[in-house]
Amino acid sequence: MPKLPRLVVVALAVLMAAVVGLQAVVAERAPQPVSDGNLLYIRSGEFLKRAALSYRSLLADLYWIRTVQHYGGTKRGADQQRRYDLLYPLLDLTTSLDPQFDIVYRFGAIFLSEPFPSGAGQPGQAIALLEKGLVAQPGDWDLAQQIGFIHYWWRRDYAMAAEWFQRAAQMPDAPQWLSGLAAVTLAEGGNFESSRRLWQQVLNDGDAYWLHSQATFRLKQLDALEVMGVLQQRVRRYTERTGSLPKSWNDMIRTGDVRGVPLDPEEHPFVLRPDGTIGLDPKSPINPLPPGAVPRA
Amino acid sequence: MDAIRTEGLTKHFAVGFWRPRPYLALDSLTLHVAAGDVFGFLGPNGAGKTTTLKLLMQLIYPTSGTAEILGRPVGDVQVRRRIGYLPENPYFYDYLTAEELLVYFGGLFGYSSTDSRQRAARLLDEVGIGAERRLQLRKFSKGMLQRVGIAQALVNDPEVVFLDEPMSGLDPLGRRDIRQLILRLRERGCTVFFSSHVLSDAQALCNRVAVLAGGRLAASGALSEILDVHARGWELVIARASDAVLARATAAGVKATPLGDGRYTLDVPVDVAPEQLLTALVEAGAQPVSLSPVQETLEDFFVRQVGAAPKDRGLARD
Amino acid sequence: MTTIARVALSVFRESVRDRILYSIVVFAVLLMAASYLLGQLTAGQDLKIIKDLGLASIATFGLFIAVFIGIGLVWKEVEKRSIYSLLSKPVRRSEFVLGKYCGLVLTLVVNVAVMTIAFYGVMAFLDWRMDPLVGEWPVPPIDPHMLKAIALIVVELMLVTAIALFFSTFSSPFLSAGLTIGLWVIGHFNTDLRNFEAVVDSPAAIWLARVLYYVLPNFAAFDVKAQVVHGQPVAMSYVGLVALYGFAYISLVLTAAVVIFSRRDFK
Repeated sequence: MPKLPRLVVVALAVLMAAVVGLQAVVAERAPQPVSDGNLLYIRSGEFLKRAALSYRSLLADLYWIRTVQHYGGTKRGADQQRRYDLLYPLLDLTTSLDPQFDIVYRFGAIFLSEPFPSGAGQPGQAIALLEKGLVAQPGDWDLAQQIGFIHYWWRRDYAMAAEWFQRAAQMPDAPQWLSGLAAVTLAEGGNFESSRRLWQQVLNDGDAYWLHSQATFRLKQLDALEVMGVLQQRVRRYTERTGSLPKSWNDMIRTGDVRGVPLDPEEHPFVLRPDGTIGLDPKSPINPLPPGAVPRA
Repeated sequence: MDAIRTEGLTKHFAVGFWRPRPYLALDSLTLHVAAGDVFGFLGPNGAGKTTTLKLLMQLIYPTSGTAEILGRPVGDVQVRRRIGYLPENPYFYDYLTAEELLVYFGGLFGYSSTDSRQRAARLLDEVGIGAERRLQLRKFSKGMLQRVGIAQALVNDPEVVFLDEPMSGLDPLGRRDIRQLILRLRERGCTVFFSSHVLSDAQALCNRVAVLAGGRLAASGALSEILDVHARGWELVIARASDAVLARATAAGVKATPLGDGRYTLDVPVDVAPEQLLTALVEAGAQPVSLSPVQETLEDFFVRQVGAAPKDRGLARD
Repeated sequence: MTTIARVALSVFRESVRDRILYSIVVFAVLLMAASYLLGQLTAGQDLKIIKDLGLASIATFGLFIAVFIGIGLVWKEVEKRSIYSLLSKPVRRSEFVLGKYCGLVLTLVVNVAVMTIAFYGVMAFLDWRMDPLVGEWPVPPIDPHMLKAIALIVVELMLVTAIALFFSTFSSPFLSAGLTIGLWVIGHFNTDLRNFEAVVDSPAAIWLARVLYYVLPNFAAFDVKAQVVHGQPVAMSYVGLVALYGFAYISLVLTAAVVIFSRRDFK
């Protein structure tokens, strides 16, 4: 066999370099995908289940990948119109194809509930998804617990939350702390203790490592809210004593109501508003506080 | 200058996918074919004849050794303007007609389309393809394809022609036609190199042969040299053999075998002068039919050579 | 006429006589016509659907032709041994490969041209039928910018053909088809390789994804169909850039094909 002439080797190398170089340039200049490039032609889980034949699990994986891409792409994209419209349909399709796909339920529970821009802001859809999961896996305490969580945190429906936590606690292999949680929620739904417990559980859960930053964030918010409650009390005390609202933290430092400018868990100073309410420094990363969250003592 | 020349031409194939074993298809073939020869390249199936031809056409590459055609190495594209090749079991583009194929090939040599068409017409006449030349090749029988194959090998009036089993697929009339064509080529001074396992054709046409067996050259040389050595006698066939004739024959030490109908084959030993015997028998009333010398035929020679050739191919055989 | 041109014309002649090719093209043209009927079913969106369907047909049928004829190009000649007599003529192996490629590209271009004419025919019909009082098209039916999308489709098909031809120099049709189509599919998900880095942790996987991102053919870049249908601008400089990328890749693949083919034994 004749040897490969050097000229050919050089030509191949040069062409390869040209290809790689041009690809880099092309990738930069590629046109933004058009908005309805995001079409989902098949929406029926029932249809897809049948059409997938023996490839259901694989197809579920593909849809899961697509779900993640959709979420990531939407989040990174500049388009303000996109509100994760396809998130629920995609999650629904994925779980129809593979009802045991636990991480998908988890993902949906969080990111369907989260308000825009972090999520779709549709806790009802999240609940629907999880309830569908329970039909396939009736003894799965984690799904039930997640439903409770959504009722608790996003809907502030403490009665329903407690009911779901109780239901979860009665399922096989349910952990101990669930029944405690149910009781606390029922008694004092919305207080920091139960909320803190919930998020701490998430932080302790090794499987949901990608929720840990969320959990830490939420715990910091809870800390901040707690401190804000105390500060609110102090402002009231000051007002009762002096008969007027404090104009700044310095006023309160002088009267000894606070020891120094109060800082939130991210070391940003709390803001004392002219009407006497306490708020976060707009620059603080703990923003935004959960909707309707009221600092309570 | 030799028309064709190989020196130590060797080809190993690797057989098998996972652990390829080597198979020695051709072992150090050294061959010289002079210009103008009609050279017969003989051997049983699997001897390596087609491998040799493919190496000469550079359809495959040698493991070692060299090969030259008209003084140039076989890879030289220019030398292909002066040669022609008929592959074994030829197959051509079945959507083309015979005419179109020859015109296409003519174009590849750089002939104008008029010139190509003239050549095509002439060659198709010469190989005996008539009105079928307008049919698509997919409709051709094996014999017709063979003829087209020979025609396409001659499109460029080559100086050297390589034919791999030229008679294969032809009926007796076809073989006679092709034999005559080869003789015409020889008259034109063309060098003809053809491989065959039909020995009678080779015997009739070639002036030199080589015998290949088991990938090795078993013998080569002028036909006259190879076969001359063993003249054994004569065979005389007569008709109207009366008893008197037979008696006269037997007296001369001749063995007579009846063929029926008053005909006899007489095996005349080498020490008896055949002409004198024939005259005597004719005087006795016999009618001569044929007289031919009994020499070693190419077949005998072949069997001797191939039988003696070592079976083992040096390396593991497939 | 050079040897390459002769081989190319011979391939083109073969394709013209190939009934399968006719059926594909006729089917495509019929689809164009049918798309007009389809358009009537969708309230107001008919032009978009017709354009979408038309461009997709050109791309898809072109792909069929490129793959299924491309993979057979070399393999068939070797398998049936018609190549033996051809290579004994003064034809270099490189000329053979390149001639086959050019012949198939010529076939493709002619077929795409036929489909494009049918496509614009349907557009023109629609335009003629449209009552100017009823309304104006947001994007005109007879839009020369669609030719940009079609031009890039042609370059994309030329690249697919080159890849199919490359595989056909050494492997059987089934394998070649699988590999070619596989590469085409992967090439469309090129951008997802980029997104991998955000999702995956292992540095080895990220490195691999990055290498593949640069090396695998980026077919997604040729797809400006959606932009053109919505009337969004596509810069000529972009078209030129992508075409240049395509030609560079084609050259690479063809060189490799010639190298492999030149060193083969034809057993």
